[in-house]
Parts: sequence; structure tokens; C-alpha cells
Amino acid sequence: MASAEGGAYSYSLTVFSPSGKLVQIEHALAAVSQGTTSLGIKASNGIVIATEKKSSSILIDDSMIEKVAVVCPNIGIVYSGMGPDFRILIARARKSAQAYWKVYGEYPPTKVLTQEIATVMQQATQSGGVRPFGVSLLVAGWDIHRGPSLYQVDPSGSFWAWKASAIGKNMVNAKTFLEKRYNDDISLEDAIHTALLTLKEGFEGQMTEKTIEIGVVTVPTVEELQAETRGGGTGRPRPTFRKLSEEEVKDYLAL
Amino acid sequence: MEYNGGSVIAMVGKDCVAIASDLRFGNQALGIASNFQRIFPVTDRTYVGLAGLGTDVTTLRERFRYRVNMYTIKEERDIEPQTFAHLVSSTLYEHRFGPYFVEPVIAGLENTSSGSKPFIAAADLIGCLNFAKDFVVAGTASSKLYGLAEGLWEPDLGPEDLFETISQTLLNGVDRDAFSGWGAVVHVITKDRVVTRTLKGRMD
Amino acid sequence: METSFALTGKGYVIIAADTTAARSIVKMKVDEDKIKELGTHLLMAYSGEPGDTVQFAEYVERNIRLYQIRNLYPLRPPAAASWIRRSLAQSLRSRNPYSVNLLLGGYDQAENKPNLYWIDYLGSVVEVPFAAHGYGSYFALSLLDRYHDPEAPLEEGLATLKRCLDEVAKRLVVSPSKYMVKVVDKDGVREVEI
Repeated sequence: MASAEGGAYSYSLTVFSPSGKLVQIEHALAAVSQGTTSLGIKASNGIVIATEKKSSSILIDDSMIEKVAVVCPNIGIVYSGMGPDFRILIARARKSAQAYWKVYGEYPPTKVLTQEIATVMQQATQSGGVRPFGVSLLVAGWDIHRGPSLYQVDPSGSFWAWKASAIGKNMVNAKTFLEKRYNDDISLEDAIHTALLTLKEGFEGQMTEKTIEIGVVTVPTVEELQAETRGGGTGRPRPTFRKLSEEEVKDYLAL
Repeated sequence: MEYNGGSVIAMVGKDCVAIASDLRFGNQALGIASNFQRIFPVTDRTYVGLAGLGTDVTTLRERFRYRVNMYTIKEERDIEPQTFAHLVSSTLYEHRFGPYFVEPVIAGLENTSSGSKPFIAAADLIGCLNFAKDFVVAGTASSKLYGLAEGLWEPDLGPEDLFETISQTLLNGVDRDAFSGWGAVVHVITKDRVVTRTLKGRMD
Repeated sequence: METSFALTGKGYVIIAADTTAARSIVKMKVDEDKIKELGTHLLMAYSGEPGDTVQFAEYVERNIRLYQIRNLYPLRPPAAASWIRRSLAQSLRSRNPYSVNLLLGGYDQAENKPNLYWIDYLGSVVEVPFAAHGYGSYFALSLLDRYHDPEAPLEEGLATLKRCLDEVAKRLVVSPSKYMVKVVDKDGVREVEI
């Protein structure tokens, strides 16, 4: 039963080892670092999140794979790690955003939504009969209170705000790369290029619009904010998060 | 609504809003108290008034206080009047088939990119919101208040004129209503302060 | 019919309640104490549906006592009023609500002032200088409007109460025959003869 590395503490419940570690969470982090690289960069006028999407066979229709997901008009998420686990979290996040909208008539600020997801992930480390989520997330969003913000959430349920971060395979290298490239007044356009450049560092195979996914947060102008009427039209606010289309990604790759 | 009586009104002015109510608490035709506060502060610049059944006024005031406190802690910011109006609406609609017997009125100053903007709203007892540009009324004297406000209100009143207009509307409105009156309280909310005045009214 | 009065004065609250326990048109008992002593400085007169009244009053009494045992200090009158209100408001929307009306009088030892709360079965609470429940209220409240003085000494307060009781005896068809009167002030609660 006891394996060589984890010992008796690595099975079923998340239980503290005598040295104070939660081995299951460390294993979950290991699962994350086997996943494809994702990164996020906060620019002066927006945020970019990007990821590499890799399919195990050329026969898989990779247009169906979605790694950057829209949660609500102002928030998007990218992940590294286990796809199925991510699906569960994104469904929860969307539900939570809609529940917030039902109560307050507006979508949640990035921090509130991140907290909500982090709570779900934390609960998986303390409940019976479940395992921790095998994903790390980068949550990017815009809200009127804090402006653009970028968060990382880990399987333990802890989360931090970043100016730029990377998760998954090569995250250490990618972070070092970002540290060298980042400055506080980088523009969104430059950030997108830096993101692609960073991904390129550890990329296996060809970087094309089919193997890259990008999501961006844009900061609305004062005019756009004033034009926004919640009562009229669809009642939906103008999105501040959107995914770049394959054509757009192609254009960025060409430059 | 007629069981305990009471009325609330809110008006928009130039860079200010006012909210006012009477102070009567009755048992049908019998007056019990003349100090019943039915307007409560939500934030520094947002107030809510609750016309209707006394017990539900108190219960809802406590519920809103709880939910706004939780919001403030979670979001690390004050709730905006419009957001609060939605919170009121959804709280009331949660009890769609066994409602609280209150008609809430919300008045406040919204934070916008270009300073602050007056905001008023009212809801019915199941939370149907009414965002008005001029004035909103609620309670047993609402029909009378509509008539007076329609005649007395005009756009872009300054804080002092708005105070006079809302006070006259309320005082004269509740005099025509047996279930409202017994004194009044008026709050005028401006960018940098809230002026609260207690008015004497007819005691009959 | 059941009637209760209460009024505040300089440093005290007087509470009076009739002592009849009736069932339909029959008087079953004429020495029923309907003013509970909830603490050393807290009084509560109760009236309403027979059965509910005693049941609810004892529930309140035990919980207020429990609070004191747990915390080693008593609930102050405003907190007690708030707790009782919440109990009634919750009960109102339950399958069978208590139908009990209360007058809660107390002496706040922290602020050294008397408090009086008018509470009905719906859970409405108002803090008042004087209050009444039952048919007697229609006669007493107007008298209290005229004669009540928040600064009056106890003798004067009792005299004002006497006016109310006499008026009810004189004008109300179904007037009660006997009242129990209790006072709460800085020295605690006590019964007084009137």
C-alpha cells in the first residue's frame, strides 16, 4: 500500500504528513506542471492570457479544444493541467457569475469570482471522497473597482494577483523569461507579442493559430462606460474580455 | 400596508437627492408611536426607506444591513445605490409567494467616472423595481404624494430648494392620510454631506 | 377583557396588567400574575391567546436566564427587546405563530435610564414613553398623552396610572376588576399596591 515516495499519506483523503505537508496537493501540482504552458501578462491598458494547445494525435479536431474560456463578459480563464477538472471549475465559475448577476444586476469583480473558484478548489482539499483539482488557473478580468486584474489559483485553493505569471510545463523558465521582459508600462499589443515569445521558448513543434489560444481583457474608455446602459438592449454589458479568433492569432504570429 | 401606516418619498435634485418619511407607527386607526424611523443609511451616500408593515420594516432593515456588511467586507468597497437596488429587489423576490409587506424606496448618489450622479428607485413588495428620473413614492399616502410631487417638483433643484419641495410634498400629503403623519424626517444627500432634519407635523 | 399599561418616569418604568384569566365569557381566575420578572431589572407584561402567552413568556424567561448564565451578565433592555422581537417575527411566518402581545419595561444599568418597548404579536417593536395593549389602550393612550411626564417622580407616575385604570373601569363595558402593578428602577423590580 505504501509507495516509495508518498508513503501512507498519499492515498484517499488529503491528510497531513508528519512533516506538515499535504502530499496529495503536491501531487496535484505535479499534474499541473505536466500540463501545457499557460501564461498571463497584465499590461497598462489590458491583460493577455495565452496557452499552448497540444493534441496527442493529428486526427483530433483541435478546433473543438477550448483552453481559454469566457466566464462572463468581463472575466476569462486559462488553465494548465487536467482538462476534465477544468471543465468542472469553469461550469462552477459561470454559474457563480450568473448567481451574482441575479442578485446584484451586474457581473462579479475579478477578485470576488476568483475567491469563489478558490473556495471550490480549497473544499476539494478538505472534503471526504474527493481529490484535489489537478489544475492551476489564470483568471483575467476587468471591473470598475480594481480595473484589470490577473490572478493565479492553485490546487490548494490559494490565489495571488500577478503582473505576469506562467503555469504548467516550463513555468520556471517562462517566469524567468517574463521577469526579464516585463515592465510596468508595457502596452497590450506588446504584451501579446511577449506572451507569444515566451510560449515559443518552450514550444514543441509548430506555433500556429491552431496550436495557440489567446484571450484579452481591454479597458473600456470613459465614453464606452457612459454609453453602457444596463436597462436597454440586451441588458448585457459590453464585453471587456474576449478570445482572439484564429485569424487574429494568425496575424499576431505573422508579425 | 394600512395596518401600521406610514409613507416614504424620494426626489432627485441637481447633484443631490432627498428621501423623507413620516414618523407615525399605528395599530390601524390607533396611533402608538411618533418616533418610528423607517429610513436607514446603507452607505455614506445611499439611504433606504421602507414603507409598510412595521415588523417587516425591522426585519428587512436587519437583513439588508447584514447583506450590505457582507458585501462591503467581501468586495472591499461601498455598495453603489443601483447595485443595492438590485439587492433589495432580489431579496424581496426570494419571498415571491409569501412576501414581506413593504414598499422600499432607495435614494443615493452613484459614483461615476465623471463624479456623482443622483439615483432614486422604488420597488413593490415582491421587488419589481421602478427607476424614476424625478421622484418616487410609497406607503399609505402614496396616491396623495404623487399628486403633490407632480405639482411641486421641478428639475435641477439645489439642496435647499429640494429640501423645501420634498418637505412640503410630504407634510401636505400625509395630512390627507389618516395612516401617515405625526412628524417627519428628511435627509438631503449631497456630494460631501447628508443633512438630516426632523420636522414637526400635525398630531391628528 | 385583557388590558395592560406601562409608563416611564424619572428613573423607573411602571407596568400594570389585569389579573383575570378568562375562558370565553367566564372568569376562571382573578389573581393571575401576567407580568414576568425576566431579570433583576426587566419586566414583561404579556397578553393574547391563552396558552400561547404563558408558553411564550416562559420561553423568553428561560432564554434570557440562559444568556445570563452563559455570559455572567444580563441582556440589557434594548437587546432583550430585539431578541424577543426576532422570536416573534420568526414565529409569525411559521406554521403556527404565537399570538402574544408584550410590554417590555426595564432599567438599563449601563446608561442609568428606564426603557419601555411596545411589542405586538407580529414582531413590531417601538420604544415609547408610555404604552398599552387591549381595549384599555383606546382610553388610556389619550389620557397618557395629556398627563404623562417623563420626569415625574414615582408617586406622580402611579397617580397617572390610577387615572387610566379608573377611566377604563368607568367607560369600558368589559373592564377588568383587578390589576397587578410592578415597578422597575435602579433598585430592581418590585410589586406595588395601588
